[in-house]
Parts: sequence; structure tokens; C-alpha cells
Amino acid sequence: MNLPKMGAPVVVQNITGRYGRLHTRLMLDYGTNVAAGATPGKGGQSVEGVPVYDTVAEAVAKSGAVASVCFVPAEFTLAAGEEALDAGIKLLVIITEHVPVRDELKLVQLAQSRGATIIGPNCPGIIIPSQKVKLGIMPAPSFAPGGVALYSRSGTLTYEIAGQLTAAGFGQSVAVGIGGDPINGSTPMEWMDFVQGMPETKVVVAVGEIGGDAEERLARHIERSGYKKPIVSYIAGRHAPKEKKMGHAGAIIYGDYGTADSKIKALTAAGVMVAKTPMEVPSLVKKSLP
Amino acid sequence: MRLFEYQAKELFKAYGLPVPKSVLVSGLAGVRGAFATLSPPVAIKSQVLAGGRGKAGGIALVSDPAQAEKEAARIFELAIGGERPSSLLLEQAYPHDAEMYVSVSLDRGDRSFVVIAAQAGGVDVESMSGKVIRKLPLDGISQPFADEVASELKLDGERARQFSKILLSLERLAREKECELAEINPLAVGRDGMLIPLDAKVIIDDNALFRHPEFAKLHPEDEFEGEASRQGFAFVRLGGDIAVVGNGAGLVLSTLDLVGDAGGKPACFLDLGGGAQQERIEAALRLVNRLPEAKRILVNIYGGITRTTDVAAGLLAVISGGGSKPIFARVSGAEEAAAKEMLAGSPVRLYRTAPEAVEAVVMAG
Repeated sequence: MNLPKMGAPVVVQNITGRYGRLHTRLMLDYGTNVAAGATPGKGGQSVEGVPVYDTVAEAVAKSGAVASVCFVPAEFTLAAGEEALDAGIKLLVIITEHVPVRDELKLVQLAQSRGATIIGPNCPGIIIPSQKVKLGIMPAPSFAPGGVALYSRSGTLTYEIAGQLTAAGFGQSVAVGIGGDPINGSTPMEWMDFVQGMPETKVVVAVGEIGGDAEERLARHIERSGYKKPIVSYIAGRHAPKEKKMGHAGAIIYGDYGTADSKIKALTAAGVMVAKTPMEVPSLVKKSLP
Repeated sequence: MRLFEYQAKELFKAYGLPVPKSVLVSGLAGVRGAFATLSPPVAIKSQVLAGGRGKAGGIALVSDPAQAEKEAARIFELAIGGERPSSLLLEQAYPHDAEMYVSVSLDRGDRSFVVIAAQAGGVDVESMSGKVIRKLPLDGISQPFADEVASELKLDGERARQFSKILLSLERLAREKECELAEINPLAVGRDGMLIPLDAKVIIDDNALFRHPEFAKLHPEDEFEGEASRQGFAFVRLGGDIAVVGNGAGLVLSTLDLVGDAGGKPACFLDLGGGAQQERIEAALRLVNRLPEAKRILVNIYGGITRTTDVAAGLLAVISGGGSKPIFARVSGAEEAAAKEMLAGSPVRLYRTAPEAVEAVVMAG
């Protein structure tokens, strides 16, 4: 996984929508270099002082944007993602929820063929507090610079756990919401490998939930690759019923596939410290540090 | 959205997949008439969405009208996983020697759709021996692709030809109707040499329903789940007495765990979604107030984009309307101090942390 340099110019897709507008302001306030917006038919306007173009290609040509934060509604997310990748965007953060699975698969394949990275869909984005960069919608006050790399399949749990870590004196080197859908543009394993290469990361906090087998795969990966940094995890959904989508499209247990118990067992066997509640995460982080 | 077996089989027919002759009945009165149009033995199958129908006694093989009526009466009354059927499928039994398996499903880890097929079906997929798994291209498969799967399964001649045809149809159905899963288990190998799907399990990608309006009205929805979905809330009814409301799927899921660990029984999972404003919070609280089995309400909010002052205003508005069930709340994050001040002196029982609020709401039962 290759990420463009943080601080590089960013384009916001559907910047003229309610959420696009709100979060453009919040991203600018935080320090993100939002250099352009794109909304078809709204070229020539400006939002929070950011120029709006009709197409991503034009926005890229004028601003040099290499990353995009996409607030385009689900019905049009595939087209918007294709447009961004075709325009040369290398990091595409898709906030949008309810994107069809087959559209997500098409975008993943296209991104792979272009050497680009997707975060999301159905995610809060990425934040790097030490560089004052956030591409997404997370509330800035929950985060502070530090040595914890945090990634999660859930938005509010990311904020909640980051807030508790921050309050306990553990800031974050990076926090990523990878998305709550069955298909993630970038996977837990890719993020684990990415944060292992960040010298400022001292410990990884991996927040998961029921559904799929990403955590089981991750556990195998940790064991096989001899992962070098301590890992703390929390898995939501120990009491969730089967065959019901619990808010996230990806949070569903089929039979014995995707249960919290299976994930907790696999991670524990791989030497990961698994917190029983979100509140327990800071104390395990403390314990994991030398 | 999971389809009932009879709906899935109608879809099968439309895609040229062979299915046994069957009649759907929605009440006991129709059973004898339906039975008369089929040649016995006849399978009576409960139309519920829950798995494990056969084991739970939801399927019976009958050979005369009196027996059909008796079994139908029993199965209509039989709840499977808390769900009672509103219809039964009477289906001509198909004499067969062997049962195969074939499905098209999403492999989340490999980020691809896959076909899984096996000579010996009828059991769960995990433990099937000799199964063949192949990644499917997003734009569909060709005859040679299907033939290769058949030969990998060690099928030959007429059986291989029939299997390829079934796989091609199933893949086209799964792709065009945007299924998360399209499964035939079992695929019967008949004494006449035909391959016939005996059961059909189809799950449509909910997020793709906007492209498939034909499925929009297929289900008799739970009244509360229907209203919640119209309001844009993620909502699951859980049967206990504590309504759990929060913002964000992961946060609500973790709150259910806290409630369960403390010995409580959640009545529902309700996710307000991000950035919820006062009206949505009010709408959610009104909804859970009307949920008959819910006796107490637990609200767990971590305000990020959602402003906790909006949450407080929503709580106060519902309470001032009168008749609200007791509300236990934990409200943290953006504008927390102001929100707490707003709620001070109100009947909302406010707690500093989620575990404290959970303990209180469980103990109050």
C-alpha cells in the first residue's frame, strides 16, 4: 500500500452537498490542504473559499490534488470513484454508506490496476494528528499526536476509543476507519503492515466487529509474519444475534462464520491482547508498552 | 434481503433453472386443493427465513390429503427461530440417489465472488469434502469456465452438461440480481438422471435494491423494522426489555455487549447514524417508546459529529411530551458540559460512563 505524502493537495467530491460542505470546513480547520472541490454542474462556485470544478480531472489539473475525499451518494459512488481514479487520484477516501458490493469490487479492482489506495467505503477516513491532516469526518478533539496506530471497522468506536486513549495520555500516530462494509478498499492486513513501517508507532490497536473473517486472517498473518509491534484489539458484537445485519452491512454472522468468539480466540492465540470492553483498551495499551 | 424459498424458486424458474412442481398455500383451507394438484409423496415446507428448518421439524413428507392437512396445521403453528410461517410450500417430492451442492457467494477475504460446488451436499459448507472453489470474474462466466468446474468435480457426460447449464444460470442470476448469496443445497441427482435444485437460498445485496425495485415489496415487514427503515435508522428487534439506542453501529454493538455481560436483555439495536440532529433523536425515542416489549431505554452517545446538545434537546422534548419509559443515558463528547447542564434536574438518569449507565438500567429491571 502506497499513500501519497500527507499534506499534499486534496479534492473533495460532492463538496457542495450538506456533508461535503460541513466537513470541508472541519478538515480546513484541522489543517488539511483541501485545494479543490468537484461537483458536476457546480463548477465556478466556491465552498469555504475552496474552488469548485465540474470534474475531478479539472480539479486535479488546477490544484495538483492526489487524494480525494468522496461524499457522493451511494447510487453514484462507483462512477465518482472511477472518475477520481481515472483522473490520477492515488488515495481515495470514500465516506459514503450503502454502496452496493459489486460496485465496491469494481472499484477495488480498478484501484489495484492503477496502484491507488481506497479507504472505505462506509468509513470515517484517516487522521494523522502529528501532521494536522485528516481526510474524513472524525471529530478532531478526540485525537492527539502519539504512538498508537488505531484502525477500526466502526466510526464512532474509533472516536470513542481514540478519545479514551487521548484522555489516558496515549495519542495516535494514525487512526483509520477502514469501513463497515463486507468489502474494504484497504484491508486490516494492509494497514497492519503499513503501520509496522511507521517508526513513530509503538503499539497497534485493532478494533473489529462481527462478520467475515478479517480478524482470523489477521491472526494468521501476525503469526506467520512474526509481527514486531505489540497489538491490542477489541471486538464488538459478542452478544449479537445470528443472521442479522447489525447496522453495518458487513456486521453479520452466518452460522458459525463471523462470530466475535471465533475472532477473539484467533487473535488471543496469535498473542494479541483482546480487551473485553472499549474502556479496557487504554490499560492494555499501557501494559503492552515496554 | 433474504428471499423466502418460494420467492427464490420463482427467480430460479425465470432463469431457466429446473425446480420441482409446487404450490404455495397461505392458510389451511388451501392445503387439500394444493395437494390434489401434485402427485404424492409431497413435501410440506415451512416458509420461514430462519435456517435449520428441517431439523426444527419445519418440513414433512406426506402421502395423503388427511396427513397433508394434519402436518400443515402443525407446521403453521411451529415457530422456528422465533418466526412463524405465513405460508407453506407444497412441493412434489423428487426421488433421488445423491445430493450435490453449488453456490455463488461473496468471499470477503479474497474480495471476490466465488462458486463453491461439491459432489456431496446436504451438509454445511465448511465440512464438505472434495469441494471446488473458483473465483468468478465480475463480468460473468463462459461455457468453458462452467465445463471446467464440472470436470473438476469429476462429472462427465450428461451430468456434466446439466451441471454446467445450472452453474451458468445460477451465476447469471446472482450477477444480474446482485445477490450476496445464491445457493442450491441440495442439488438432487435424480433416479431419472436429472439434476434438480430442491432448496433455494437467495440473499440480495440490500445496498443494490435501488437497482432492483422488483424486490422492494417482497416481504411482510415487522411493523417497527419497517418504520425504522423508513426513518433511516439501523434497527434490529431483539426480544428483551432494554431498548438500546446510540450513534454508530460499532458503538451500539459494544453497548449490547455491555448489557449482555451485565445480565440484561436488549429489546432492540437502534443506530441513529452519524450527525443525527434533534428531530431524529426524538423520532428514535418515540419509536422505542412504542415498542411493547421495551420497558426501559438506554441511550449511549459519543458525540463526534453528533452534537450532544442536540441529543439533550431531543431527550427533553420526548420527556416533556409525557409518558416516556425511563431513560438511562450516557452522553459524552462534543458540547458535553452544556448537554449535561440541560439534562440536570430532568427525569433522564444521566451516568458518567457507559458501564455505569448499563449497570443502572439492568439493575432497574
